[in-house]
Amino acid sequence: MSLFKKKSKEKVYTRYSSAGANVSVWKETVEKLKTPEGRPEVLDDIMVLDASSANFSGIVAASFFAEFGADVIKIEPAGGDPCRKMTPYGRNVKGVGIPFMMEGRNKRYMTLDLENSPEDRETFGALAQKAAVVIESFPAGKMDSWGIGYRQLSEKNPGLVYIPITPYGQYTKKAKEFANLPDTDITTQTGSGLSSQIGDFDTEPEPYNWPLKAGMWMGWYVTGISAALGGMMALLHRQGTGEGQMVDIAGMDSYSSMTGFPATIGFTWDKPRPRIGVLDFILYPYGHWKCKDGLVAIAAPRDQDFRALLKILNRWDLEDDFKYTPDRIPDIIEQAMELHQEIEKETMKYTADELTVKALTYALKSARSKWRGGGIPIVMKVMTPEDTVENPQWAIRKSFKEVEDEVLGKYVITSGFVKMTESPPRIKWVSCEIGKDNEYVKTKYL
Amino acid sequence: MEDYFSYTAKLFDPAGTNEKPEVFKGLRVLDFTHVIFGPTASRILATYGAEVIKLELPFYGDLWRPATYWGRYWKHSNPIWHFVTQNKYFVSLDLKRQEAKELIYKMVKDADIVLENFAPGTAEAWGVGYSTLSKINPKLIFLSCSTYGQYGPMRYFPGWDLLAQAASGVLSLNGFPDTERYYKLPDYLGDFVPGNLGALVLLMALYHRNKTSTGQYLDLSQTDSMIRTLSHFTYKSVTGEALGRTGHADPSMVAASIFKARDGKFLGLACATEKQFEALCGVMGKEDLLKDKRFSDYLEALKEENAEALRTIVGDWIKTKDCDEIVRLANDKGFAAAEVATDRMICDDEWRRERGSVILFNDEMYGELAIAGPSARLSKTPSRTKWLARPLGYHNRLVLMKFLGLTEAEMADLEEKKVIGTGDDRPGLKPPLYYNLDKDPIYNYGREVKR
Repeated sequence: MSLFKKKSKEKVYTRYSSAGANVSVWKETVEKLKTPEGRPEVLDDIMVLDASSANFSGIVAASFFAEFGADVIKIEPAGGDPCRKMTPYGRNVKGVGIPFMMEGRNKRYMTLDLENSPEDRETFGALAQKAAVVIESFPAGKMDSWGIGYRQLSEKNPGLVYIPITPYGQYTKKAKEFANLPDTDITTQTGSGLSSQIGDFDTEPEPYNWPLKAGMWMGWYVTGISAALGGMMALLHRQGTGEGQMVDIAGMDSYSSMTGFPATIGFTWDKPRPRIGVLDFILYPYGHWKCKDGLVAIAAPRDQDFRALLKILNRWDLEDDFKYTPDRIPDIIEQAMELHQEIEKETMKYTADELTVKALTYALKSARSKWRGGGIPIVMKVMTPEDTVENPQWAIRKSFKEVEDEVLGKYVITSGFVKMTESPPRIKWVSCEIGKDNEYVKTKYL
Repeated sequence: MEDYFSYTAKLFDPAGTNEKPEVFKGLRVLDFTHVIFGPTASRILATYGAEVIKLELPFYGDLWRPATYWGRYWKHSNPIWHFVTQNKYFVSLDLKRQEAKELIYKMVKDADIVLENFAPGTAEAWGVGYSTLSKINPKLIFLSCSTYGQYGPMRYFPGWDLLAQAASGVLSLNGFPDTERYYKLPDYLGDFVPGNLGALVLLMALYHRNKTSTGQYLDLSQTDSMIRTLSHFTYKSVTGEALGRTGHADPSMVAASIFKARDGKFLGLACATEKQFEALCGVMGKEDLLKDKRFSDYLEALKEENAEALRTIVGDWIKTKDCDEIVRLANDKGFAAAEVATDRMICDDEWRRERGSVILFNDEMYGELAIAGPSARLSKTPSRTKWLARPLGYHNRLVLMKFLGLTEAEMADLEEKKVIGTGDDRPGLKPPLYYNLDKDPIYNYGREVKR
């Protein structure tokens, strides 16, 4: 990207930059962020059993424990977890789907048929005595009826953190009534309120005015993150007291409980929110526009940011009509769309990078100026994942890693979403053949 | 043995929540963050018992305070701000004043966690960065939240949720293929997902500190966080092709899409396993599909042409049934279906009220507000909501006098110099109109008040 051609000096968005900066210590800290090698792993003292089945959020949760060093054992029947086959257009490598290849990180694989084999259930029970965490996604009460639910396992292992993941959770009337309903990403997205907020105006032609699915497994990832987060809370309590507990995750909570919007807006509004396409309920301009070489995202919602944007785009004539936030937010859709189109006329004259440089130059000047109303318009090229992977920022931050596996070959996965100085996450291996660690697990834990 | 659901009902009884212990009792968090990303990470800690001191600029406050929802306030506050800032202590300090820095240094001595989400480098430049604070308290855990991270050529680019969505590829993926129709993820998910991951990595750092007594510095970027949720990079590297936008359908699962039922309601439907597909075929009265070569195997049925043909068949069947009936059949026979839930449906849902996923909270200042429950329900150390957002500087006296031991004279001096200060007379910064702050014992901590 042309943005990176000039070697730039450290830029700080403040005019108080001389105060107290301790540059050499800071540089040392940043150096330490750059690699996880040689640093301890946080969870190297715990074992996690992932018995989730046909539910990818369990795999996501287990991945977070595995990245931070836990000994994670995936339990699946000899035919493999159905998640192995969930993959876009059926694309796979030797029967393993793309999402499973991506989340297969630092895990052990053991075959146990919990659904059909009483002996395997017994083996699982014995393993669970050594485990800190159990993740499962069977219908609520199923594991309990097999004698390996929280109730039974926690008797022998009071420190156990037990994480069941289902659409409606482990208690309430509805949880019981809908216990057999399977969990999937798309039903999590629709049922927890995400889909109803993506998509175009009611007035658009069908099917474009329908609620829309997020183009990634956002339902399952949100659920998986929630499970890992709840699990870590419980592990911290366990670390302090030795006491385990149940961490109940309901897929239908995922989006609504992560953002809190549906509950509160549903309460304060008489009607449900409409879908408003590319607009935003609170902020404007806050969206994406066409430009010379593709698409550009622009955020300039505060009044001073908007003024700055108009200056960059040479459209000061719009200032009078859209001066204040209430003039710009889309409660009058026609007015907002008019502004949207006016802005697009201008963005079409530039490339995304040209606009980004203009905005950055303006923002730095205004952040350092004595006049605090300068505004910071923010611009970024809308990248496809294929663009993102080429961006030098992520190469330097090692956000992607090319891994190589004997069976699956070479491929790219995401890695190291956080950089930590003392106990960072890391990818150690990705191999995931069914039952590959049966012996390892037996020797180590049974 | 006792019925499983009556056992779990006792285990999670919402009436017992307040008697149960809190995981983070006594944990002190200094929170420099604003808007959503950082405040979400600290909110999660606060709902599990941590003492989160939210620091804001006097007279201005958090940028999110005066925002309106579609031009509307709720009791002179931003309605969605309450969820993000519940249980926090609101202190306003002007960071560019040396006196304020001294107060911060004093507070850092007993703090466990510090969070900031200024533009990278700013906290260092202001003398409240990790290099300064870790000298005062070496066991400190310090989380920097930013859009692109603390190092790398893009570090100094400012950003919001939207820019993280744009830079990670997320924004380009929601919409219809071969059209210009595509949309960002709603409700600032590009802040909430990283915010939750922020809490997760703080817990990792705490776990590590409990074992080794060492603090550390954490650099979490919004874009990195959103990248973590995509398998599109792996798809490209394995197949050589871009996956792109996929409309209403989920190309990874059999018969997975959003459909419109006979009664005009929308629902999501999918089969996660071959067994679930059998169940769906049975319900549709189309067992012959199971013998069809195109659909007989899960991977085969996912191939583009086959998947499209199957979605047409399923879509045609759905057109003949009402939404509720399909969901009922899904539960009875074992495939996945769920109606597209709107805000009102979620807020009023009986299951969510019973579960505690939507809580009708009664706040001393704001009265009744529906607020979302936690994403995870812990049986022994559950999360809880104690109070909603408070006006700017509401806890100044409580925190500075009670916790730091400042005297009345020192407080007056700081106020005089505008090092600390309360709200301007603006919505979001001030209390609701009907509320008299002069009679509030917390706001007036240390003074006599008549209620």
